[in-house]
Amino acid sequence: MQDHKNKIDPNSEVETTGHQWDDDEGYPLKEFNNPLPKWWLYTFYATIIWAIVYWVLYPAWPLPNGNTEGMLGWTQKKQLAEEIRVAKEAQKPFDNKLASLSLEEINKDNSLLQYAISGGKAIFGDNCAPCHGSGGVGSKAHGFPTLVDDDWIFGGTLADINETVQNGRTGAMPAHLESADGAFTQAQVNDLAEYVLSISNQSHDAVKAGRGDTLFHGEASCNACHGDNGRGSLKDTFDGERLDKATGAPNLTDAVWLYGGSRETITQTIARGRTGKMPAWGEGFEGFGRQLDPLSIKQVVLYVHSLGGGQ
Amino acid sequence: MQQSVTQEYDYTIVKLFSVMAVVYAIVGFLVGDLLAWQLTFPELNFDIPYISFGRLRPLHTSAVIFAFGGSVLFATSYYVVQRTSKVRLFSNFLSWFTFAGWNLTVLAVVITYPLGLSQGKEYAEPIWPIDILITITWVAYFINFVGTLARRKERHIYVANWFYLAFIITVAMLHIVNNIAIPVNMTDSYSAYAGVQDAMIQWWYGHNAVGFFLTAAFLGLMYYFIPKQAERPVYSYRLSIVHFWAIIFLYIWAGPHHLHYTALPDWASTLGATFSIMLLLPSWGGMINGIMTLSGAWHKVRTDPILRFLIISLSFYGMSTFEGPMMSIKSVNALSHYTDWTIGHVHSGALGWVAMVSFGALYHMIPRLWNTKIHSVGLINVHFWLSTIGIVLYITAMWISGVMQGLMWRAYDDYGNLVYSFAETVEAMHPYYFIRSVGGLVFLLGGLVMAYNVFMTIRNANKVPAAA
Repeated sequence: MQDHKNKIDPNSEVETTGHQWDDDEGYPLKEFNNPLPKWWLYTFYATIIWAIVYWVLYPAWPLPNGNTEGMLGWTQKKQLAEEIRVAKEAQKPFDNKLASLSLEEINKDNSLLQYAISGGKAIFGDNCAPCHGSGGVGSKAHGFPTLVDDDWIFGGTLADINETVQNGRTGAMPAHLESADGAFTQAQVNDLAEYVLSISNQSHDAVKAGRGDTLFHGEASCNACHGDNGRGSLKDTFDGERLDKATGAPNLTDAVWLYGGSRETITQTIARGRTGKMPAWGEGFEGFGRQLDPLSIKQVVLYVHSLGGGQ
Repeated sequence: MQQSVTQEYDYTIVKLFSVMAVVYAIVGFLVGDLLAWQLTFPELNFDIPYISFGRLRPLHTSAVIFAFGGSVLFATSYYVVQRTSKVRLFSNFLSWFTFAGWNLTVLAVVITYPLGLSQGKEYAEPIWPIDILITITWVAYFINFVGTLARRKERHIYVANWFYLAFIITVAMLHIVNNIAIPVNMTDSYSAYAGVQDAMIQWWYGHNAVGFFLTAAFLGLMYYFIPKQAERPVYSYRLSIVHFWAIIFLYIWAGPHHLHYTALPDWASTLGATFSIMLLLPSWGGMINGIMTLSGAWHKVRTDPILRFLIISLSFYGMSTFEGPMMSIKSVNALSHYTDWTIGHVHSGALGWVAMVSFGALYHMIPRLWNTKIHSVGLINVHFWLSTIGIVLYITAMWISGVMQGLMWRAYDDYGNLVYSFAETVEAMHPYYFIRSVGGLVFLLGGLVMAYNVFMTIRNANKVPAAA
């Protein structure tokens, strides 16, 4: 049944090729012999011309010793180098000033400060946000402190923040429960927790808190780090002397908590202890693969300082 | 007389592959939508390694491309080559061998991927023993298909078969070259290529897997089912020849556009981009030929949901094959690369073109295979609208999310510093991930409607003994 003599499809004026397939059931397959649509053909030619022009202008065809380089002399390496050069050039005056001035001086120069904060935000986003969160809100679940309030642990001055970023910090809350290598029974730990609840103005058992008070200032000597009033190493005194701010013992009397302020979490903190670790980003820590250059550290310090609670 | 000719064909193998296509469609869509929800709510990984995103993602892509798409292509190519050659398939044994080999491959993939066994090449993740199984199965497929063509009782080879044959030959070449590796034990191997050459071979494979598996082969399918369903001659024989050879010649060069602005040499990048642009019109040739076949029969689209599936698939095909070349231009690619835009592009092709044209073909073929009527035309209509709504939700969400993501990555402030951190871009995409998940769910529901409709059709056919 191939090659039908009558090549005109009965439903149409256009010629078919005369071929026919699959004619046992249903409509048999046939083909019109319409010419190529003009717009299709000319657009196809246009794309070919576009490609040829592109080949003339840009690196295109491989040769035995390299490739055709194109009239524009463009390469992606040159493009990258040029874009970096332009960007660096634009930042250079700012960077030079940033390098020569101290943190305090930069903090007083508003336009320079805005530049440092803009760079610091980008550096923070790539390096610090994984723990401290976008915008520095922190995470209670993992004990990463929030940076947007004025409740500092190791201090919120530019110098303090710089020290924290350069050399890192280690929080060392010891474990107190016997089974966790501590020296106290579960009941004593519970008493201490009730006392902490009481000084942070939360509902508590007054009898237990009374016993906890004695332990806090006595056998457990919590006040050696957290201070006689539990207001932390930044604000409080022990034996009449100001505490060393590098101790990093948090204020227990406010509503801001590093790991959480519920009875359960406080008990857990006292019983098992906590070890927070802020890595060091400054010089001398290159081996850890996370060093920031001095200019970046300045910017990130100023950014963190600007977040809300800088002192 | 007609009945006797029809009964000569081997429909059993076509039926088996058709049923598996429906089964794998559901599996592939289900895993895909689970992944979409995992991206929206990472808790849904449940900390179980076997169902974590990284292991399920290749399972999803393999299930939809190779298990579902592959079964559709086996079924339709075996159906089309017999009917257009007027001869039974070349070898019963080889037909069964390809069915066993292909399904064994799918089974092996379903077991190995969740266990974390992968050779780490996208769309070519199977470990080397599975690669060998695929190769043997594919050679059997080639012999069976060419053997059938060689014994054809028609003088001319119908256009659909050119496309199927190009697909079978090229996929064999791609699969073998990309998977050359040195095994070190039963599950691990090292690629024969290193560095940027390995990347180039991989994307030569990856892009042409799209080009020949998901484009050329499904164009072959289109060339049979559209004229058959529309009951009109193919619009232009000449166009089919020109766009066939143009596609075959141009597609194979386009792979480097997946590696713009990497260690790939500039010249390879240029060739990838320019050949992609030149590919636009040859790709559209298939769409024109399909859609123009309907001229004089447009009214049928209103009443025939199968034809509607076939025609809308060509619209999505035209859109994707326009979008693809645009995305291959370096300056556009600089924005789109590594973003969700790519995911949107891929799914407008995979859901809109491949899945829709496959649904149309299955709805056309299944009642004829079982010599019955479809259980419910209304349900085909329901499936059509669920699919369309699902796709539109999916791709618009990914377009917005992808372009936004690309713009956020390159946003600088007045001082030349990046405005957004990576985490902030992820956060911004969350609502679009949710919309995408819902779109995928709607599309999956459509698939379930099809599965029910097909199941009822086959059950009804088996209940009533053939009157003839």
